[in-house]
Amino acid sequence: MTLSKLSFRNARRQARDYMVYFVTISLAAALLYAYNGLVFSGEIRTLSKGMSSLSLTIVLASVVVVCVFGWLVAYAARFMLLRRSRELGTYILIGLENRQVAQMFFLENLMVGSCALALGLALGGLLYQAFRAIIFSLFGLPYHFALGLSLPAVMLTAVYFSLIYLYALSRNRKRIRKMKIYDLIYSDRRNEGPVIGNGKIRRWLFGASFVLGAVGIFLLMRRELIWGLMGAACIIIFLFGFFLSFASGVPAFFERRPARKYRGQNLLIFRSLTARLAAMGIMMAVISMIFAATIMVEGSGLVLNGLFRSRSAEKACFDLYFGIEGKEQDPRPYLDYIEDNISVEQWVLYRVYVSGIADVQNYISSHTAYYCYNYEQDPVMRWRDYAALRAVAGYPAAEQEPGRYLIHCTAYLEEPLRDYTRPLNLGGITLAPGSVYTEHFFQGTGVTNGRGYLLIVPDEAVEGLEVHHLAYAAQTSEPVSAERFEELTAAAGVDENRFLTDSESYTFFAAKAIENADVAYQTAISVFPLFFLALALTMTAATILTLQQLSESEPYRRQFELLRKLGMDRREMTGVLRKQAAVYYTMPAVPALLIGVPFILKLAAAPEPGVMVGVSDPGVIVSITLGIFFLIYGIYIVLAYTSLKRNVLPE
Amino acid sequence: MLQVTNIEKYYGSRNQVTKALNRVSFRVEDGEFLAIMGASGSGKTTLLNCISTIDTVSAGEILLDGVNVANLSETELAGFRREKLGFVFQDYNLLDTLTVEENIGLALSLNHINPGAVRTKVEEMAAKLGIADILDKFPCQISGGQKQRTACARAMVAGQSLILADEPTGALDSRASKNLLEMMSVMNQEMGATILMVTHDAYGASYAGRVLFLKDGRVFNELLRGERGRSVFYHEILDVLAAMGGDVSDVI
Repeated sequence: MTLSKLSFRNARRQARDYMVYFVTISLAAALLYAYNGLVFSGEIRTLSKGMSSLSLTIVLASVVVVCVFGWLVAYAARFMLLRRSRELGTYILIGLENRQVAQMFFLENLMVGSCALALGLALGGLLYQAFRAIIFSLFGLPYHFALGLSLPAVMLTAVYFSLIYLYALSRNRKRIRKMKIYDLIYSDRRNEGPVIGNGKIRRWLFGASFVLGAVGIFLLMRRELIWGLMGAACIIIFLFGFFLSFASGVPAFFERRPARKYRGQNLLIFRSLTARLAAMGIMMAVISMIFAATIMVEGSGLVLNGLFRSRSAEKACFDLYFGIEGKEQDPRPYLDYIEDNISVEQWVLYRVYVSGIADVQNYISSHTAYYCYNYEQDPVMRWRDYAALRAVAGYPAAEQEPGRYLIHCTAYLEEPLRDYTRPLNLGGITLAPGSVYTEHFFQGTGVTNGRGYLLIVPDEAVEGLEVHHLAYAAQTSEPVSAERFEELTAAAGVDENRFLTDSESYTFFAAKAIENADVAYQTAISVFPLFFLALALTMTAATILTLQQLSESEPYRRQFELLRKLGMDRREMTGVLRKQAAVYYTMPAVPALLIGVPFILKLAAAPEPGVMVGVSDPGVIVSITLGIFFLIYGIYIVLAYTSLKRNVLPE
Repeated sequence: MLQVTNIEKYYGSRNQVTKALNRVSFRVEDGEFLAIMGASGSGKTTLLNCISTIDTVSAGEILLDGVNVANLSETELAGFRREKLGFVFQDYNLLDTLTVEENIGLALSLNHINPGAVRTKVEEMAAKLGIADILDKFPCQISGGQKQRTACARAMVAGQSLILADEPTGALDSRASKNLLEMMSVMNQEMGATILMVTHDAYGASYAGRVLFLKDGRVFNELLRGERGRSVFYHEILDVLAAMGGDVSDVI
């Protein structure tokens, strides 16, 4: 039998024995291909001007992802090498040279990698279609399924895969070449050390690590760079300290409480865990850090997405809008352009006044968290304009309430303003508070309909009030194209930030289609790469945990065989195995949650109040983040547990 | 205590049947130390597996404390094993991740003994078997003889009726073997343990009160020690083995 045939057989066996690893590598190839597909897609790039930067962000994320997968493949190859040292030693014993064995190992891994790459490319084609569909839906465009492989994406994926494998295998090749036959054959007979250390220093470290963890989280919550860095350092020390000392600290705890140790299945569960951590404490700390990073990266992506969506939703309530502030409030140049170039179904030109007092503003300040104001006085609009604006925005008509003023505000201010009871006195007319409306009404930054809130008063009540700005809002027959919008702003001499600034006036432009396109590209170029990274990290860490778990199948099988002989029934054994697996997989996730969740909550609280609401509420973001994380992690856990149970407790 | 009546055990398919046990019958009385000897393939391990309920018989019945083990469900069998039987294996079968104390305490824990009383019971048993000073050690930190004593402690600590020992000296050097066998005699004579030991070691069997010889799945002979000294009994065992035509290399 030639070396290549032997390699082929071993590769088949490797793919079968380490199915989870093979699946992960295939998915890695699929992910790399799908993202590379986005990099090279001309169709995606032309969706918006900003989409050209998508390629750059994905390539930057790919560099990190390739390093992460490189680490995984190197770890798995080394792991398999150690598990198969006796077999490799036997090859040398029967006359093969180290060089040939190294070559064989290299070849079989290359075959597994090639199969994973081929399978990954096929899966990646489908995944790319899913990404395409998501991006098209972000831009509000119709999606048509079109399967096909992009040659440049295939080539780039192959280059990434080659880098991953060459790095991992060259390290192991060197290792095999230096190995001695005795070490390989008798690797399992090396003098065993105590499974669990119980030094006093480690026990002390166990207690100290908890204190450091608490201090670290507290410092991170302060939201100041220097404290944050110190907090992060404390957390890292906590993770390593905790996992390295767990195998000493927990037995010491039970030593003082023997009754607890022997209660139920505690003994078997905590000892299997301490044994595992004694052997892989550092790796467990690294995995926990990876999980924390995953949760933070996913959460950050969702916070960014929420931020973009929230800002866009407020700005995109009118098909076309402009507002002019300053001494010269002349809308004619813009109206002329619109009349000639944009088909408008209905429109309104209106004024926003200021009331001369700031009662509502003061009330909001005293009843809510920090809030930004564009006006020094309460902004006011007359009823006729408000009714017309609601029609332009496509909202149902509001009911005028005689003798009352209405409030239109953001959802965040609805609760406090519903309780607002002070009357409003304008030019001798006294109005009582009326209904509160909360639809998106362009109440954000810029020259807009009030910052967060607006008072709507009977038409006669605005007589004599100071005009703050002039504004125009329109409903168009079709979305305003980027070209038209650019021409409009260029015609008006507006800079690229859509503001017209001269000594006399200040104009602000917005269009629904442009805002939606902006949020789509901002989401695409930030959230997509972040999730790419998060997926790679979760898959890598979960695979390493699973490989470790499955490698323990044989000792576990012996353990359960003994327990069966000693009289433990199958139901109890299944319970012990399930709990052991549950605790093993929970251990690295708990510190990650303790670090990641407060981080997301703080990050989501950073934007001004009222922005992160609805599906972008911090609680919802945490739930979605954890949902995605545990869905992927859960798949690995179920796969590993099913496989472990089949090996350890066969029917 | 134990009554084995006409048990038979077949392996294989219809065309190729191997008879591992052929109408084997014997009794073990309460407090007895019985050794079962035979060459490799004689059926002694199969017999032990059937008695320990790890394997089932093809015919015949096994009664332990009057209970027919064939009539028990899987759950009842598990309970039966943990309450009635103690095991001592050739390769110790201790859990590497547990200390000596915990390995012994495991038997009590499985029997749902009050968790608060476990440590005391373990310490009492360890003191009797001379391993009180190694209770906090892990199996990899102690000698083979100490491991086997730990296994003996585990086999007795929950008050099991019958200790089944499968080649307990198989992995020990001669000195450790002697120590273990002497300790098993003490367990039998002073602590009242009923022991059924499977061995192919004539020296080990000479510590028993009675020896059953198995050959080709049948009881070939039986020797009672009676009032004779151990040395005399040992030579009688060797004589029977010679008569059986057993593998001389098996005889130590």
